[in-house]
Amino acid sequence: MIQVSKKTLALFCCFFLLCGLQRAFAQNDDNPGTLIDTVLIHSSDGIFSSTASFTFQLKSSFKYSEKGKASLLVTTEAGKKVRSDSVSVNIASGESKDVEFSVGGLKPGFYKVNFMVDLPHYNDTARKAFGIKPDQISSQYGKPADFESFWHDARLQLDKVAPEYKLTELPDSAKGGHRRVFRVEMKSLDGYLIRGFLTEPISANKNKKFAVLLGLPGYQVALGPMLGNDPDFAIFTLNYRGSGYSRDVINVRREDYIVLNLENKDKYILRGAVMDCVRAVDFIYSRKELKHDNILAAGGSLGGFLAIATSGIDKRINFCSAANPILCDVRNLVNEVDWPFIDMRKYVNTRPGLTMEKVMDNLDYFDTKNFGTDIECPTLVGMGLVDPIAPPNTVYTLYNGIRAPKHLIIFRDLGHEIGKKYSIYEGRWMRDTFALF
Amino acid sequence: MSLLKSFTKTLFFVLILFITFQSKTFADGGFPVRPGRLLISPSVSYFFASSQWDSTGTKKPFPNGGKYTSISATLYAEYGINRKFAVVASLPFVYNQFTENIDPRSTSSSGLTDLETGLRYYLANIDFIYYFSLQATAITPLYSNNAALGYGQEGAEFKPAFSGSGYLGSLHSYFNAADGVRKYFGANGPIQNRFNATYGVSLDDLYMNQVSLTLTGINSWSNDKSFVSGVPETNRNFSFLELSASYGHSFNDEVSLFLTGGQFLTGRNTGVGTAISLAFVYRLDYR
Repeated sequence: MIQVSKKTLALFCCFFLLCGLQRAFAQNDDNPGTLIDTVLIHSSDGIFSSTASFTFQLKSSFKYSEKGKASLLVTTEAGKKVRSDSVSVNIASGESKDVEFSVGGLKPGFYKVNFMVDLPHYNDTARKAFGIKPDQISSQYGKPADFESFWHDARLQLDKVAPEYKLTELPDSAKGGHRRVFRVEMKSLDGYLIRGFLTEPISANKNKKFAVLLGLPGYQVALGPMLGNDPDFAIFTLNYRGSGYSRDVINVRREDYIVLNLENKDKYILRGAVMDCVRAVDFIYSRKELKHDNILAAGGSLGGFLAIATSGIDKRINFCSAANPILCDVRNLVNEVDWPFIDMRKYVNTRPGLTMEKVMDNLDYFDTKNFGTDIECPTLVGMGLVDPIAPPNTVYTLYNGIRAPKHLIIFRDLGHEIGKKYSIYEGRWMRDTFALF
Repeated sequence: MSLLKSFTKTLFFVLILFITFQSKTFADGGFPVRPGRLLISPSVSYFFASSQWDSTGTKKPFPNGGKYTSISATLYAEYGINRKFAVVASLPFVYNQFTENIDPRSTSSSGLTDLETGLRYYLANIDFIYYFSLQATAITPLYSNNAALGYGQEGAEFKPAFSGSGYLGSLHSYFNAADGVRKYFGANGPIQNRFNATYGVSLDDLYMNQVSLTLTGINSWSNDKSFVSGVPETNRNFSFLELSASYGHSFNDEVSLFLTGGQFLTGRNTGVGTAISLAFVYRLDYR
């Protein structure tokens, strides 16, 4: 063992302390300072009834004054420039400066807005979005005349497939938990085997019936059993065809899933996926311990699409919750987002005779907004204002078309996600609807 | 490919079920009653008063070392008929005793008192956080000619209630506020304003343990201003304000226990009461 006297130890400590201080002071000498820029949108949800207004806050810690400009660029969701503004900025060391911008005279819709600061030693761009009178947004594109009959035919086709439900209670599932867990297998459209997981609260009341959450996953997300302490809800998580635990027949690369059989609307992958969700409702109806009038369909992203589509087609859904639903207003969406159209264009290029116009014709049958008008149950929609996959104007088009009781929660600063506020509101509204006080 | 990768990172499944805890708060508030749910709450309470506020609100001891005690056992029940309506009922049994240091030293009476049966209507909510209800109640005396148990008169009450839930810091919280106007019919039948306000917090995420404070009061007016006993509701013209604290423990989703202690703060023509009570709450779902 090395013996070190207290005196020696103290000397070492002083030495390292002095070295550290010297470095800290040296850093301070070299540091030219920086600028902190913050955007304040003068609306809690980013929605304005007429003129949108913003404060671009600049706070300098530069040693010297910086002279440059602060500017604003407003574009449509499709990237078309609609407004720009610029002001000179002369900001002294340690000074804070608020630059006020207002944008008026815009048509109803959502807009992207970039706030830029350009100084000799600093430049930055803050990206935000805002909406003007979004309740007036509608699509210039209607739904196909045979939209309902297309899905009615799909349903009839599904009815011809015997579901062959198979429940397997998973071993040890009840150990230390509050729920029984079952793996569920069933046959869906075209005879495909799909799987899901049902979890039910363990209750001393053998006659108790449970409300049901039908959980619908996002794009290529595998959903296992979902647990929790809720004594009122059974949770059925579905893995639709080609996704998660239902890849027996369709097992493709992630980027290939959304384009699978895109050239034929009767064989397109999402037709089967939507029918898988309807089959899941069939399954719920087959279970005596589940309440058939308390079914919540919920999902986010592609799951949001599926929740809307299933609720539009299948009136047995009693409450719909769709967060960041994709594929809304596809003919406008195609000009606003990269995905999934980047993969669709690649697909088109590999299929002789297939055109994007034909693809769009097919996608009309899978446009979320076209399902929305058929929904009859209370529907909650959530969206992020800077969502690059489900842009707000397209989600709002869906929302405005829903004629059932509805509520929209906007997250001004979020992208393809929603906040806790959504889940809390969802739970409260759904429980009130189901009278689960 | 990079686009898809970054995109799939943000794909998610939405699911945070909001478990409602309001049903684990005690009964008789503005929150709606679940259809098919029967809530039964047997309770016992002990009331004690050795001094009184006179008709001017002046506090003084009962003469001759007098002491009032009242032990009551009450069976309270609610049943949700549908999402809008619930029936409520309350059946109390009371044993009242007065002791003093002169003969006859002790007098007592006991029996069923006023049966209350009512209908509660779920009026509205604000953002599914704040709930409003209206309740109409009929009061039916189950005794006659026994002033020590009550007025012996039928009555009716109309009571709006307001309840809500929220947070106190990181703790779940709730409140109930109700104000009922009650009228007893017949000679000198008092008209009363009965109010209560409760604020409670859960000590854990699942409302397994909760504490609450309640302010309760009755203002009763009648031409009969006599003092019958230190037990407030035997008098016709009186008032009091009581502060009580309660601890509740839920053994599971069906059974809870509430222990409450209260002290009268101010009053008029009534005893300076101290009360403790123990209540079980059973929630049984029939749908």
